[in-house]
Amino acid sequence: MNILSLLIFLPVLFGALILVLPEGLRYIYRYITLLATLLQLGLSVWLYIAFKNGAGYAGVANEGQYQFVEKVHWIALNLGSMGKMQIDYFVGIDGISIMLLLMSSVVMVIAALASWEINKNHKGYFALFLLLDMAITGVFCSLDFFLFYIFYELMLLPLYFLIGIWGAARREYAAIKFFLFTLFGSVFMLLVMVGLYFSVKDPATGAHTFNIIQMMNPANYDKDSIFGFIGQHMLLGLPARTVGFMVLFVAFAIKIPVVPLHTWLPDAHVESPTPISIILAGVLLKVGGYGMLRICFGIFPEVATSYAFWIGLLGVISILYGAFNALAQRDLKRLIAYSSVSHMGFVLLGIASQTTEGVSGAMMQMVSHGFLSSMLFFLVGVIYYRVHDRDIYSFRGLGTLMPKYTVFIMIAFFASLGLPGFSAFIAEAFSLIGAFNSHNFNGLLPAWMGMCGALGILLSAGYFLWTLQRMFFGETKLKGGEVWKLALVDISSREMLVLVPLSLLTLTLGIMPSLVFVKINDSVLAFVQFIHK
Amino acid sequence: MLTYLLLIGAGLFCIGIFIVLSKRNAIQVLIGIELILNAAILNLVAFGKYDKLNNGGQTFALFAIVLAGAAAAVALAIILNVYKQYKTIDPNAVDKLKD
Amino acid sequence: MNPTLPHTDTLTIQLAIVAVLLPLAASLLNLVLVKSQSKVSGWLSSFAILGSMVLSVLVFAKVWNQPALHAQQLWFVVGTMQVDVGIWLNNLSVLMLLLVTAVALPVHVYSIAYLKGDDKYTRYFAYLSFFCFAMLALVIVDNLVLLYAFWELVGFASYLLIGFWFIREKAVLANKKAFIMNRIGDVALLTGILLLYADFHTFNLVTLFDNHATAAFIGTADNYWITLPGACFLIGAIAKSAQFPLHTWLPDAMEGPTSVSALIHAATMVAAGIFLLARVYVLFSPNVLMVMTIIGCFTAFMAATIALTQNDLKRILAYSTISQLGFMMMAMGVGAYSSALLHLAAHAFFKCLLFLSAGVIIHEMQHLKEKHNLDIDPQDINNMGGLGKYMPVTFITCIIASLALIGFPLTSGCLSKDGILVQAFLWADNKGGFYIIIPVMGVLTSLLTIFYISRLLFKVFLGKSRLKAVMPAWHIEAHDGSPLFKIPMIFLALCSLFPLFSTNPFEYEHSWIYRGFAIAVHTVSALDYHTIVLLSINVLVIPIAYFAYSIYVKQKFSFKTTSLLFKISFNEWYIDRFYHRIIVKDILRIGDLTKWLDKNVLDGTIHLFANTGVAIGKLTVWTDKYIIDGLITMLTLIIKQAGNFVRGFQTGRVQNYLFTMLLVIVVIYVLKTFI
Repeated sequence: MNILSLLIFLPVLFGALILVLPEGLRYIYRYITLLATLLQLGLSVWLYIAFKNGAGYAGVANEGQYQFVEKVHWIALNLGSMGKMQIDYFVGIDGISIMLLLMSSVVMVIAALASWEINKNHKGYFALFLLLDMAITGVFCSLDFFLFYIFYELMLLPLYFLIGIWGAARREYAAIKFFLFTLFGSVFMLLVMVGLYFSVKDPATGAHTFNIIQMMNPANYDKDSIFGFIGQHMLLGLPARTVGFMVLFVAFAIKIPVVPLHTWLPDAHVESPTPISIILAGVLLKVGGYGMLRICFGIFPEVATSYAFWIGLLGVISILYGAFNALAQRDLKRLIAYSSVSHMGFVLLGIASQTTEGVSGAMMQMVSHGFLSSMLFFLVGVIYYRVHDRDIYSFRGLGTLMPKYTVFIMIAFFASLGLPGFSAFIAEAFSLIGAFNSHNFNGLLPAWMGMCGALGILLSAGYFLWTLQRMFFGETKLKGGEVWKLALVDISSREMLVLVPLSLLTLTLGIMPSLVFVKINDSVLAFVQFIHK
Repeated sequence: MLTYLLLIGAGLFCIGIFIVLSKRNAIQVLIGIELILNAAILNLVAFGKYDKLNNGGQTFALFAIVLAGAAAAVALAIILNVYKQYKTIDPNAVDKLKD
Repeated sequence: MNPTLPHTDTLTIQLAIVAVLLPLAASLLNLVLVKSQSKVSGWLSSFAILGSMVLSVLVFAKVWNQPALHAQQLWFVVGTMQVDVGIWLNNLSVLMLLLVTAVALPVHVYSIAYLKGDDKYTRYFAYLSFFCFAMLALVIVDNLVLLYAFWELVGFASYLLIGFWFIREKAVLANKKAFIMNRIGDVALLTGILLLYADFHTFNLVTLFDNHATAAFIGTADNYWITLPGACFLIGAIAKSAQFPLHTWLPDAMEGPTSVSALIHAATMVAAGIFLLARVYVLFSPNVLMVMTIIGCFTAFMAATIALTQNDLKRILAYSTISQLGFMMMAMGVGAYSSALLHLAAHAFFKCLLFLSAGVIIHEMQHLKEKHNLDIDPQDINNMGGLGKYMPVTFITCIIASLALIGFPLTSGCLSKDGILVQAFLWADNKGGFYIIIPVMGVLTSLLTIFYISRLLFKVFLGKSRLKAVMPAWHIEAHDGSPLFKIPMIFLALCSLFPLFSTNPFEYEHSWIYRGFAIAVHTVSALDYHTIVLLSINVLVIPIAYFAYSIYVKQKFSFKTTSLLFKISFNEWYIDRFYHRIIVKDILRIGDLTKWLDKNVLDGTIHLFANTGVAIGKLTVWTDKYIIDGLITMLTLIIKQAGNFVRGFQTGRVQNYLFTMLLVIVVIYVLKTFI
């Protein structure tokens, strides 16, 4: 069995095991889940080490350059006059996916460790958790649009239940909002997918195909097809390819999320249980960024270039809008959710610049934000688990009460606000370099966008430091009085086990960013070259 | 002469019909029916003038009288039975036919 | 490392790197291994910085006035762009290296005594060593990304140290303010760096600024793309060096331990702004230089006026620092590059000394306060007085530092300040006309300096103890404290005198630092200004000091505290209040606005969609119920009604039937007959 397939389906095997075990053993479910995620992490690390660098392994639009490929004919129907239908089970990775794969494996381990606090319906929770794990891994590996779509939709289902059943007070509202938002995007994506299917023919077999890589090649498009390059079809008064791009863009922009399509995120995060918040922020948002790169920009590069200005503008708006919103929040988890919106804005800005620096910065930001947002949400979970309150004004002077916790909060906050030495600094700096450089390199984005993005860094210092000052410094004063004082014990060894590796990871990536860049560099170069072809 | 006979017959018929429709007593209704029959017999006798050879009109009138007598007997018997069943001989009260 | 370098150079570079890494090692050890409150930590950090200092001296001896050394190594590659880590040792960086270690060492030693007994003793030294690491790295790195990184890290260290006593509300507010205001500068600096990168495709300082090609390019380039990054760098320096309008964090930063104020907020970190200007000096276009001059000059003047009326000992010194930094910035602006650096070095020593003295005084006042359970602010100079006789060492060192600050002959300040003012006059001469206001304001500021520092000295050390005046029964027992206080102060006092800088106490041109950076040789007319400046300041020292003496010791006059000028000065020109009321409030209001937008407009739209969906659903349910189902129901109803209607005929009454039959016959008959 191919290692990627093993990676994808490993969680499901363990999930099945959990389903089979009797309810009496429910306290070992979490160990099984942890074991599954750890195994997965091991495999990912192995993949990372075995992943080959060099221009010959760049991937992107070149099928031969993908690594760990498995391609099996899955559905092949002869439809007579309609031609042949060809859907492959086609997985493989290149530089764009490898880091995200590794990052999501780490985040899943963290989320599994955070699942210790789950206290009802263990079987359902852990089974869904592992199903979600499979879907996420699958999304990052699929190279067949149909397969991608299946995994993409498969992520929604467990999440809906995980939020809706194990969430906080307004969980139903949040779950439905999340579900509908995402579904709204993906339903239209389905239409574009089918349109693309009928436009693209596999040159080898002559059959229509869902192969994403072949969708990237203009030569594979039928002459009169709807998304074909020649013979511009019009849809709703716009060229069909523009419409296709926009639909995919909206679908992924909801995931990232981009203002003004972000309002599901604060609700979903706030109402989710901690591990699900971690997965949402750590991995789900990156699916948006990944899809944007691989599919949206990959299949419609020329549209992406012509709309780069507007995409960059949306990125800048997300950065500033998210930051301002974070400034106004009272709920710590909401604040962090909005800071995610702001930080993911850098991803969009970096991608929009279409420079190697910008795209690398965006990739780095995705990885870095994956670790940092996991850490932040985990930290919020720590305090919420103890006293069931997250209002910033309910706490004061936690620094004296929980010194270790405060240290980690400071690490996470300062890393998030882009202190040099942590990964977010490199990521944000390079996204901004891309934005500035774009002006000279391809003239897509004006320099003021970079400056506005830099302003976001300033604002992030504002809300994080303000929170530190309000919650952690000063004399200890708690809303719950003595009861809380007893409840708020410093972090346990299990929590330490989560926080220390995350801190070290973000620190390591900040000091040695080459750990990421070396793996993604060739792909990013190839990607930028491909877009400007 | 004929005209007078026919007028009397028509008058009898109308009286008979009126009695049949309006009287609340089955016996009276029977009387009404007899009047109608008599109107018919009178017509038979009156039109008998056109058959002087065979006297068909008169003959039929005799038949009709006999039959009317028989019918009246049967009708009285029914009325008697109705009375036994319903303790009334008001035809409006006996509306079982409705169902 | 670069293999082409000769062995000795490689060694020098390695020494420099070790000098930078020693404090980092000390910091990490303190954080991880040393037990909290262990005495070891203080000595560990002090020895680390001592090691750094020794190495710095060696490096300095090798590099000073020699060709610059540069070594770099690949850090990472992004796309086709290579980012290196490297160090660039030239006169500027080795001077700073030496300066920072030389100031840091006494502060470390002093801190051992100053922080004794604090429950976060180890933490303090970890932070302090971390700061030294970042500061040392900042001065030697060779590229702008690293420069920015360490630029922020010194700010971070300063954040940690200002908020060291984080239980105190004011300290926490101050460190937040310091970091955010510095961040404004950081963002500008980052913007400048990225703009430069967009133009030149390199971050390397050596390629950018030690290279004639760049200089030539800057001469010919489109002005906008050079002015803009220059302006950005300037804003960065303004924030870090606490210049108007981003200066308000520095006085608040005095909430940190006094030793920290001495090292970070007087001698080293705040000077990093000036260092940055010096490092990228080629970049500044005449317009930017002009702005720099004006800001520097204005800040120097403004801060001096504020220092006149403050009562908090450390706040006075903080404003004095701002004022002196303004001088340096002005010097940079008028082209007195070397004098600015000379002043930077001189100022580092004497201002650090002033703060350390202030620390001792505050320490003693705190003691008195605790001993007698007084409700006083130990930093308020109104509570002091007459301390000179109890604390002779502090008194004398403080006088030396003050004289250096004034620019009195035989001190280091005399050399540096003269240099700046003389060159400012020359610059104004060249420009002619209106520009004379800049050096004149400089001189005016110098005179103000004399007044406020005299006021401070007299109020603190001379006259009668005001505490004793209130409670004559007390026996005041202040003293200089442990030798760990005294030795660093004496060391710094010696460094504040002229021999360290020049053999000739009156001619700044003879100073070795000045010569190390001399760019152009000045004309003879410099001599005239020498005399003017020297005379104007030094002759006036005596009367002004006497004036202050008569006010504050003899108490012959007093100022009206209600006059407008006094109020402006006392309230620090209302700048902070303006920021807080207008800018901070407005930004928070924007935040609230976006929150409102999110909640009402965006979510509102979503809810509108959702509710529309639900409404449509309800509508279809209604349609189903009343229209589609209704049709069927109506049909059955009609049939039922028709049945009922017809049923009515069937009364069961024979007479009715008969009547009907008759009626029908009549109707048929009528129809047949007449129609």
